[in-house]
Amino acid sequence: MRVIVFSWEYPPRVVGKLANYVRELSLRLAKDGGVETFLITYHDYWTGEFEEEGVKVCRVTNPVKTHISVLTWVLTLNQEVERAAANIYYKSGKLIDLIDVQDWHFIPAAVTLKKAFGIPFVYSVESLEDHRSHGANAPFNMAIKSIEWLGTYEASVVLVKSDWMASEVIRAYKVPEAKVKVVNPETKHWFEDILKVYKGVMGEFR
Amino acid sequence: MVGQLRVMMLTWEFPPRIIGGISPHVYYLSKNLAKNGVNVYVVTCDFPGAPDHEVVDGVEVFRIDSYKNPSPDFASWVYLMNMNMQKEAASIVKNLGGVDIFHAHDWLVANAGIGLKHVFRRPLLATIHSTEIGRRNGLHSDYERMIHETEAWLTYEAWRVICCSNYMVSHVKWAFSLPEDKLVMIPNGVDVKEYEKSTVDLNQFRRRFALPEEKIVLFVGRLVYEKGIQVLINAVPKILEKVNAKFVVVGNGYMKEPLWEHVKRMGLTHKVLFTGFVDDETLRNLQKCADVSVVPSLFEPFGIVALEAMAAKSPVVVSDTGGLSEIVEHDVTGVKIYPDNPDSLAWGVTRVLLDESYANRLRENAYHMVVEKFNWEKISQQTKGVYERVLSEYSRTFWA
Repeated sequence: MRVIVFSWEYPPRVVGKLANYVRELSLRLAKDGGVETFLITYHDYWTGEFEEEGVKVCRVTNPVKTHISVLTWVLTLNQEVERAAANIYYKSGKLIDLIDVQDWHFIPAAVTLKKAFGIPFVYSVESLEDHRSHGANAPFNMAIKSIEWLGTYEASVVLVKSDWMASEVIRAYKVPEAKVKVVNPETKHWFEDILKVYKGVMGEFR
Repeated sequence: MVGQLRVMMLTWEFPPRIIGGISPHVYYLSKNLAKNGVNVYVVTCDFPGAPDHEVVDGVEVFRIDSYKNPSPDFASWVYLMNMNMQKEAASIVKNLGGVDIFHAHDWLVANAGIGLKHVFRRPLLATIHSTEIGRRNGLHSDYERMIHETEAWLTYEAWRVICCSNYMVSHVKWAFSLPEDKLVMIPNGVDVKEYEKSTVDLNQFRRRFALPEEKIVLFVGRLVYEKGIQVLINAVPKILEKVNAKFVVVGNGYMKEPLWEHVKRMGLTHKVLFTGFVDDETLRNLQKCADVSVVPSLFEPFGIVALEAMAAKSPVVVSDTGGLSEIVEHDVTGVKIYPDNPDSLAWGVTRVLLDESYANRLRENAYHMVVEKFNWEKISQQTKGVYERVLSEYSRTFWA
């Protein structure tokens, strides 16, 4: 199995809790899952390809340095994520089984790659704009929500970490229940459960 | 490459959606490329009443949902629109079984063009119609710097950058520090046949705008500072001292109200007519009726309006700046005046209006130049030549 994980934070760039979780997941995938694991993330200046603890990490930077918001920042960064992912795709004989998008930032890239190559993706939800912005409905928040919605709509599976988040995703974006899978990373078999979700998506897509 | 050349044009405007000059440019370019045996696929923003998918004059047009995402400001709208455009274009390319080249027009489609280039590993061409640093005469905020850097990113990712005048070539080269050999100059064009279509009686038509004894002095453009409309308004009294004329001002913009107040204070409301935005046919008839067309711009990347006037056989008076300097040869195809100088403008206009044989000579020379140099047939061949050159260079890279 060959998987690319997209995450806007990965050690040494740690913004919140997501970075270390994604590292843990990637290491397990590579070590215990028998998965060829690629990880695409952002770093301001430490860019390029690295082999770290069995994971093939690619760090890209933003080609546009000046921005007016995190929204515009994210939207010009996505093309670099696409470039890095396309490089993996062409180098690996056009065989990528799945992309796992951690949070909303790189959903645009995942959607384009799905349309172009037919690679399915899992949208792993860490948090939702509705909670982060306390229900604010300014155009800025609505724009981010529209990207999150796109993720839930185009993803094969929406992966959440708790039953509460499952109900929130269903409430906020009207996702069909069967599309939402809950894997609590605090449980014993969390990694095996995620691997099961991946395999399910691959099976369906074939 | 097997069979016909396949080009995907990315543009934020295409008829019937017309915001500025990019829309007609892409329309005529695509149509003539199609005539020259190129398969052209235009991907553009949607417009009320226009179909999502149609074939226009041999060109396949796809219109994408461009107002899907709520946006806090124009630039964010552009980036979000690009997200949707790229997504739709990726499906289209997949269904077509690939295209040979992506051709993007201005920063407004930069993200989509760059993303598609890398995903499908095909060369990207960019036409830069205008720049943020030129429009704003400098960069004054993060917003403007962001757009500027997006333009720089597009020119960086493009295999070649096309500009419509030598002036724009040197401007773009300076603005983004580009190597000389990356830039190509291909002029903008005008379709003179569009001016032969109308069946309206021009004498009748003219009466809607001017008295029979008045000469018509025509201005066409957005009523904004860089177009220099204020220079023309300031020259009105000076011209009226010498010749009886009506000043017809076509277009809208933030300067309309203050200019109208200014005209009122001068007591010249009976001599200056603001028509606002007019439809294409009215505009062409007006250009045909004009005894002189004035283009007093302070900044002008190309100056298509001067070419349109020439195609309508109206003598032109233009300020000696930017692309206009290249289009007009003084005393041969038009009159050049000092930019931002009402005295110089008044001199140029009265010279044309008071000497009919001089005016007729300018009309004839200019018309022949437009037909020879600025016809879309020739321009599309030049563009096709660039595509072929790029593809032959591409065929020697590891992407091919």
